Amino acid sequence: MTSMRYSLTVIFSLMLALVLQLIPVSADWLSWKPNFLLLIVIGWVIFQPNQWGIGFAASVGFLADLVFRSPLGLHVFLFVFISAVPYLLSGWLLYFNFIHRCVFVFILIIFSELLRNFMYSVWGVPVDYGEAPLGAISSAVMWPVIDKFLVKVHKRRH
Amino acid sequence: MTIHYYTNWFSSIEKFADRSIRPVYWVANIPSRIGEWVDLSSTDRSVIEKENLRLKQESLIHRGQLQRMAELAAENLRLRLLLNATELLTDSILVTEVIGVSPSPKSHTLTIDRGLQDGVYVGQPILDAEGLMGQITSVFENHSVALLITDITHAIPVQVLRNGMRSIAEGTSDYNNMQLRFLSPTADIREGDELVSSGLGGRFPPGYPVGSILSVEKNSGEKFIEVNVRPAAEIDRSKYLLLVFTSQDGSRNGSSQ
Repeated sequence: MTSMRYSLTVIFSLMLALVLQLIPVSADWLSWKPNFLLLIVIGWVIFQPNQWGIGFAASVGFLADLVFRSPLGLHVFLFVFISAVPYLLSGWLLYFNFIHRCVFVFILIIFSELLRNFMYSVWGVPVDYGEAPLGAISSAVMWPVIDKFLVKVHKRRH
Repeated sequence: MTIHYYTNWFSSIEKFADRSIRPVYWVANIPSRIGEWVDLSSTDRSVIEKENLRLKQESLIHRGQLQRMAELAAENLRLRLLLNATELLTDSILVTEVIGVSPSPKSHTLTIDRGLQDGVYVGQPILDAEGLMGQITSVFENHSVALLITDITHAIPVQVLRNGMRSIAEGTSDYNNMQLRFLSPTADIREGDELVSSGLGGRFPPGYPVGSILSVEKNSGEKFIEVNVRPAAEIDRSKYLLLVFTSQDGSRNGSSQ
């Protein structure tokens, strides 16, 4: 895979995740919506930590803040904080199999939701911490698709 | 983050992003458009004919009710003139479509497909078929952003339809719940009471449905009662909305669509 094609794949995956994140759903299903953008960021950091690291996560977080009209810095903080974990554990992650990665991503997303709720509670917004696992479950269900896609891209690249 | 949350210092960055975001929302709406198209294509002709007949009958009933309303409005105007009261403002409307919804459960905003070209302005009220939805907060060339009444930062002056008691309904970041704050335990308010906009503050026109009282909780020892309100509008479901132009806006004198 040429570097041009590789970069386009990364941009396309981010755009697709962004669009999926913006698809409107009713309030009853909002808590169940997978965090597509964070999943794809975690995915790129897990599979290419040398190329897509903390700076990449911060840039996507900034984009998310602008698109989702959230307080500037909220997604930057969340994405950087969450991506730092797979980035720092990148040496260990080589030994993780598919199931390990699913569980790892599930824990990361739960942590991200708890952190987001905590940030909102600091600003006085009522939050329900009980909803955090819902998004994490649906994200973990979506992860195999992203995992397969990234494994495929990774194999083509090397 | 905190600076952005409590101030408007970054509004120019936000506006720049909002200007360029419309194509993304357009793409994100494709699945729902396909869904609508599939729904329409797979519906039987007889079902469509039945629905058409039902809508015609409904329209007839509404037109009949409207005639009665016109008569009541004229009578109301005569009585107000007798009382030397100020003339009520007449509203005109413009239909708009929702093209984007904030994906964050804590930020209740919508993007609609009308902007400066259609005379939309900041502060303009929007409603759906059931009641008030919110107000416009940013206007661009051909789209606008609206803040919903259920957003935590939103508050709307209301009055109880039964007895005219005034209060303020605040958003709680829950699409199905708002709260009336600082009501004393002796306040005459009951479960099921209808709330309408009071028109105080001049932002929202008076008389539009806002919601109904869901529960009134009186906790002993507390200074105020907790009143939960279910919004009348289908906040998270309505696709087509109405932009309200009051005659004092000037930008859109009496035209409606």
